[in-house]
Amino acid sequence: MEKNNHYASMKKLILASMILLPLIPFTLTLMIGYSHFTSSIESTTVDSMKRIIGDHRHMIESFLEERKANLEFVLHSYTFEELSQPENLHDIFIRLQKESNAFVDIGVFNEEGVHVAYEGPYKLTGKIYKETDWFIEVMKKDHYVSNIYLGFRQIPHFIIAVVREAEGRKWVIRATIDSYLFNTMVKKVLIGKTGEAYLLNTEGIFQTDRRSGGNFLDTDPDYKKYPAFSLSPEAADIETFIISDIKGDKYLYATTWLKNKKWLLVVRQEKADAFHELRIASYLIIIICLIGGGVIVATAFYLTEKIVSRISQTDTEKGQLQEQLIRAHRLAELGEMAAGFAHEINNPLQIIKSEQSLIEMNLTEMKEKAVLPPSESTEEIADSMKQIKLQIDRCSAITQAILKFGRQSKPVIQDVDLRNFIPEVLNMVAKKASVHGIDVEQKIAQNTPQIHGDPGQLQQVLLNLYNNAIDAVVERHGSQGGKLMIKTGRTDNGKVGIAVTDNGAGISAENQKKIFSPFFTTKPVGKGTGLGLSVCYGIIDSMGGTMTVSSEKGVGTTFTIYLPIA
Amino acid sequence: MEKMKMMLVDDEERYLSTTQKLLSKKGYDALTAGSGTEALEKLKTQNIHVVILDVKMPGMDGIETLREIKKHFPLVEVIMLTGHATVESAVDGLKAGATDYLMKPADIDDIVNKAEEAFAKRQRLEEKIRMAQSRTYMKSPREILKESGGSEA
Repeated sequence: MEKNNHYASMKKLILASMILLPLIPFTLTLMIGYSHFTSSIESTTVDSMKRIIGDHRHMIESFLEERKANLEFVLHSYTFEELSQPENLHDIFIRLQKESNAFVDIGVFNEEGVHVAYEGPYKLTGKIYKETDWFIEVMKKDHYVSNIYLGFRQIPHFIIAVVREAEGRKWVIRATIDSYLFNTMVKKVLIGKTGEAYLLNTEGIFQTDRRSGGNFLDTDPDYKKYPAFSLSPEAADIETFIISDIKGDKYLYATTWLKNKKWLLVVRQEKADAFHELRIASYLIIIICLIGGGVIVATAFYLTEKIVSRISQTDTEKGQLQEQLIRAHRLAELGEMAAGFAHEINNPLQIIKSEQSLIEMNLTEMKEKAVLPPSESTEEIADSMKQIKLQIDRCSAITQAILKFGRQSKPVIQDVDLRNFIPEVLNMVAKKASVHGIDVEQKIAQNTPQIHGDPGQLQQVLLNLYNNAIDAVVERHGSQGGKLMIKTGRTDNGKVGIAVTDNGAGISAENQKKIFSPFFTTKPVGKGTGLGLSVCYGIIDSMGGTMTVSSEKGVGTTFTIYLPIA
Repeated sequence: MEKMKMMLVDDEERYLSTTQKLLSKKGYDALTAGSGTEALEKLKTQNIHVVILDVKMPGMDGIETLREIKKHFPLVEVIMLTGHATVESAVDGLKAGATDYLMKPADIDDIVNKAEEAFAKRQRLEEKIRMAQSRTYMKSPREILKESGGSEA
């Protein structure tokens, strides 16, 4: 449990560093790149916006100047009397219209504001304008350009009026400019898909209509947000800013006051449209982020999984090795102890045996000499004697086995060719196997290398495994259907493998752990000492090999021996 | 024919006495010794043919006693009795001149059988010695003189 936590936290650490370390420079690069790109694009966009609005303002102002100049030209070319003649005014008007078809009508006024002459579609002659704003204004300032208004004509228009003073009197000519044409001119700005231009007066009322909604003479709902209205008109030339309009769409604005300071030219473009390239770049960056991040994360996960599993494998192997070492050491100690113990037991056993012999002999004598008449009791004693002898022999068999287990004999090491050796040993149990109806199969690979070892010891190991296998098979199948397979060959890690497989009763996982421990047996009392496999294990260990077991209850068991190549 | 005389050497007093009884019941004459030193003492005074010697004893151990016996009484047959069921200790004993070995706990009949075998071997050996000696006596006095002169030279 603790180990699992250890791996989990190690995994987290590796994963975190493997994701974060590349991700930091990666995101940093993208962010820096993006911010530079953004500021560059923004400044370019704003600059071009400024240029456009400057040009546009120039065009509108030129138009107004030209119209004013037209009127001034007329005013200075003719006398008041000449202008007052409707025929003359008609000719003049036709010439003016040739100059610009924006002129709708023209009127002449005297100092008292009386409409002296008029040329145009309306009948305005004789009306008095003395009290009107425009007239008062124009008398003061020499010239006047009105806001666009409907007037009593109910058609949007604006007027330009100029004054001439000569021979002690003043007169005024006024022309109406077709708002439709002016409107078209102002609107004639094309930037991207949503770029548009319009004019507002000082009260924020549309002087031209707006393509994206906003009718002529309506109030721009957003005009109070424009800095141009809060600052004094002289302060800035061209203002650029980004605000959301009443509908919540963000726009990039550029505003500038026209020279007369009455009209504010506004050019605006939806922010998304203006920074279209920026959006494409952001999409690209997001895609790169996602793919790059994904690749980094996936790689991190993959590598972490690999590293941790490798570490855990190494740890497991280390643990196994340590366990093997401990087991080998424990076995050696146990062997020594057991041998000493067995030896000590043998001495009293010898005495018991002698005593038993003596009793038996005396008993026989007594019977022969008829000192002891045969009775049930004597029979019982004789039986007991036999039993004592039997049990002494059993004890001695156990001590012999222990001594064999604990012996530290010097094995006779020589090269063993398993290709011949295995069949020879197998022959020794062939008879027993066939009696129990066991099908014996040998799979001895021709590339099985030679090994170093004591043939006697190896034979002991193999016979032990064969006998165990036969016992297991008989336990499960009786005398039919048993299988025993011996397989040898070179393993991938350069060792010789000998596998003994049976289809016997199998060993439970619990017992598999203890199977190589001395005195461990599943056989009934008196049938096994539980030393066989631990002796085998000790022998294989002394040959520098290892021995493993894999088994499934009710399927079978495989013992595998790995020995170094000679 | 000469009767076999055995000696049991073991540090277990009870084993000695019981086995002695058993052997005498079987009609064998057997001496006992509780240690290697005692055994050597008894060998000096008595004519013993076969010694049954425990390998592991306190003081002078079996192998050591065996060497001493073979050194001073080369004709005495020695059967090693070992508690170690290993071939090694038996081999050590055989190398040092033991006739045979037995593993503890040994059956009395086995002991008797091995002892008889050893005794028979001893008798064969004594027979050969007698033959050899009698052949020597039949040689001419000159030959004998020559031989002794040669060996002296």
